[in-house]
Amino acid sequence: MAALRNKSDQEIKDLLNEYGIKHGPLVDTTRPLYEKKLKEAMAKAKVPVTKPSPDRTFYREDQEEVTYVTYQTPVRSEGPSGDGKPYMRSRPEYSERDRVDDKPYSRSRPEYSERDRVDDKPYSRSRPEYSERDRVDDKLYSRSRPEYSSGRPYVDEPHVYNTLSSSSYSKPTPVVKSGGGVVKKENTTSSGRLIPLWIQFLVFLILAGFLYFIFTNMESAESSPFNRIQ
Amino acid sequence: MSSTSQKHKEFVAEPMGEKLVNALAGIGEVLGKRLEEKGFDKAYVVLGQFLVLKKDEELFRDWLKDTCGANVKQQGDCYGCLREWCDSFL
Repeated sequence: MAALRNKSDQEIKDLLNEYGIKHGPLVDTTRPLYEKKLKEAMAKAKVPVTKPSPDRTFYREDQEEVTYVTYQTPVRSEGPSGDGKPYMRSRPEYSERDRVDDKPYSRSRPEYSERDRVDDKPYSRSRPEYSERDRVDDKLYSRSRPEYSSGRPYVDEPHVYNTLSSSSYSKPTPVVKSGGGVVKKENTTSSGRLIPLWIQFLVFLILAGFLYFIFTNMESAESSPFNRIQ
Repeated sequence: MSSTSQKHKEFVAEPMGEKLVNALAGIGEVLGKRLEEKGFDKAYVVLGQFLVLKKDEELFRDWLKDTCGANVKQQGDCYGCLREWCDSFL
């Protein structure tokens, strides 16, 4: 079965029909293409036995979607096939999160997509990705992927206020009191749901400034005895 | 809204005659050279292949990718170009 080259034209045609592959006349220029298609179809036929199990351990919730994608990868291995699978896996996950995210935050999606258009210029591609991942990562997937954890270095600083940036739906307002009024207004005027990254950044800066202000006040309190002596 | 290139417009405007394979939309210097090495030195030879593949998009795209390593965009451009040419002249 492996020696497709040695088969006659008629046999190749029969095999193509068997696998349901649409084809034209078998000529010398088309033969290599059909042989390749047959090889892929044969490999694909073996896939259901081995593929789904690793994917199932990876996703508890949406198994069907993932296995559907892995079916596609052997056929449409455009780029390097080694990279194709994990890349494709992250894609449905990305869209999966889209759906899964919908349940706890039913309002978030349409607002977010609006946001996407509004903030198109400075944060066109990477930002919405980041902020979307940021949210979901906190809520549902406790074992965070390395890319996500590496994508939040600047969030680590205010460790106490980690929840501020990560789930910035309703939490920022009780935490940041001084800038809370401003933040809240910004929230309602711009999105009301998913706070875009620039607002998070702004809040973070306000918070950092606030902390710095407190810190300097503390220092001045300490230095007062020194002043006295002098 | 399909944005067709200048090359595409020029190609589909008239019978291809003896035009080189470079004249096809999506086929530049590098891909053209690869096609020529495989024996597809003129546009009509690629047309022949397109017709033998029954003008099927997927088959043609796969064939183009295998033969000269065209990427998705190039495949699409070439396919669209040939298809439109066929609609007008075939």
